[in-house]
Amino acid sequence: MNDSQASGHIPDLDLITHYSENCRSALSRASLWTKLVALIAIIVILTIAKSVELLVALYALILILYWQSNLPLRKLFDWCLLPILFVLSLVVLLMWNEPGVPLFSLRFAWFSLTLTDNGLLLLIRLLLKALISMTSSLLLLMTTKYAHLSAIIYRIFPSPLDQIFLMAYRFLFITLDMVDSMIRAFKSRGGGFIKGMSRQSQIFAEIFALVFIRSYDQAERVNKAMESRGYDGTYTTTTEVQQMRPIEYLVLSAFLVAVAYLLLFYGSSI
Amino acid sequence: MKKHIDLLQDHDFPEPHELIHIDCASHIYPDGSIGIHELCFRVKENEIVAVCGANGSGKSTLLEHLNGLLLPSKGNVYVMGELIDSRTKKDLWKNVGIVFQKSDDQLFAPTVLDDVMFGPLNLGMNKGEAWDAAMEALRAVGAEEFINKIPNYLSGGQKRLVSIAGILAMKPKIIALDEPTSDLDPQHAEIVENVICGLKEEHGISIVLATHDLDLAARIANRVCIVKKGSVIAEGRPSEIFYNTGLLEDAGLKEPKIVQIYEALCELRGVKMEKSPVTIEELVKSL
Repeated sequence: MNDSQASGHIPDLDLITHYSENCRSALSRASLWTKLVALIAIIVILTIAKSVELLVALYALILILYWQSNLPLRKLFDWCLLPILFVLSLVVLLMWNEPGVPLFSLRFAWFSLTLTDNGLLLLIRLLLKALISMTSSLLLLMTTKYAHLSAIIYRIFPSPLDQIFLMAYRFLFITLDMVDSMIRAFKSRGGGFIKGMSRQSQIFAEIFALVFIRSYDQAERVNKAMESRGYDGTYTTTTEVQQMRPIEYLVLSAFLVAVAYLLLFYGSSI
Repeated sequence: MKKHIDLLQDHDFPEPHELIHIDCASHIYPDGSIGIHELCFRVKENEIVAVCGANGSGKSTLLEHLNGLLLPSKGNVYVMGELIDSRTKKDLWKNVGIVFQKSDDQLFAPTVLDDVMFGPLNLGMNKGEAWDAAMEALRAVGAEEFINKIPNYLSGGQKRLVSIAGILAMKPKIIALDEPTSDLDPQHAEIVENVICGLKEEHGISIVLATHDLDLAARIANRVCIVKKGSVIAEGRPSEIFYNTGLLEDAGLKEPKIVQIYEALCELRGVKMEKSPVTIEELVKSL
């Protein structure tokens, strides 16, 4: 969608919105309430679960749903890079010297680092949790029309948080378009990533400053346009969120029962 | 040219058929720059007034005075016979709608329908009434097919139509449009132009058009005001104003294409310009 994106590893908001508006899968026809409750249940599992087998099974289930919804798997794997790097940057300090069976050791002058089976499991567990969070959130976003999402935000969140959410999304696009056109202009005049680091940093700082100033100006103009239509500080969305169908009650209940069963009977061991 | 200004200054209070009457208003921005200077302006019932001027001449500042977004530092603004001040300006938006130059500034809601319903809901309509008003306005501009779309994914022309619908849904008496056809391709510009004419013809709405597209003004305006350095320096019918080359040059403008063609043809044929056509139909008739 956005050909000039700085990196293919950054989730493309345009592409996500394209799927959310045009996806015709079973999941996109489901009520947002169903998907939201399921997402919360997944977050609860992620908070408690330690079993790698359970996490793998959950990740596989979400990937199947993602694939079944005709969403782009290849892109998803591209987008995984950043969460993986984020988790690695954290776990690289934590995974050493965990109690357990040593797998190998790195010896330095003053100290040694030992990777145990538990250290490795910690790494795998955290990676899986990050990937499940990201994939399930994307699955929800890419199968839900923004109008429905904004309607639910309006219902759930208190003011002014709901107002911020309702207006921020649209201007995220405008700001991204602004950044995109600036980067294009920058590239069209020979700018790139091959020049000196300090020069690049300076140029990106200038782009950032310009985006900030222009966004501020834009906010002023938007406020003026809203005032000219009688805006008094409250904005309501009129979209109705689709109610849950009987089949959704059934599937969601089964899922929640399974989660509750796992938590109640295997709470300490999962 | 001066005669027209004198006419405006002859009466300090609006006449009964005047919807808007600006009486020698000036506006100075906080940074000291002059937005408008002793500007006199009026809008009558069911007419299209084109405010033409170069960039930075004060067109947009004038438009913002019509809606109460700005109040004059000096002089008076009357809308529907009422003097506008800090107390009366808060309800002005119900009578005067503004379509801003950049549609992206105006369309902020998640969907087109939500955006068009924004004004009617602020007017106090319930959801059903607001929905009806929004659908009626979207139909009037031919944009009803976009109701569930995210404004970001509309083309420039579609965004402009939706912006107009957002104002039309509030059923104002006057609509002020800031550069309504700028940045549009010819086809969309024509659609917007037809919609503007329809607002006057079918809905009886008076239109104020701020533009430096003199061809557009020549085609649809009943009256043209030339603005320079924040003041109206001339006012009259398009055929009077657009054949005054000196005036247009002074205001940093250029004659409309039709006028240029007519002048060139008359020169080529060695005949005197007896008529003043400003539209294609008038030009064909003159020839």
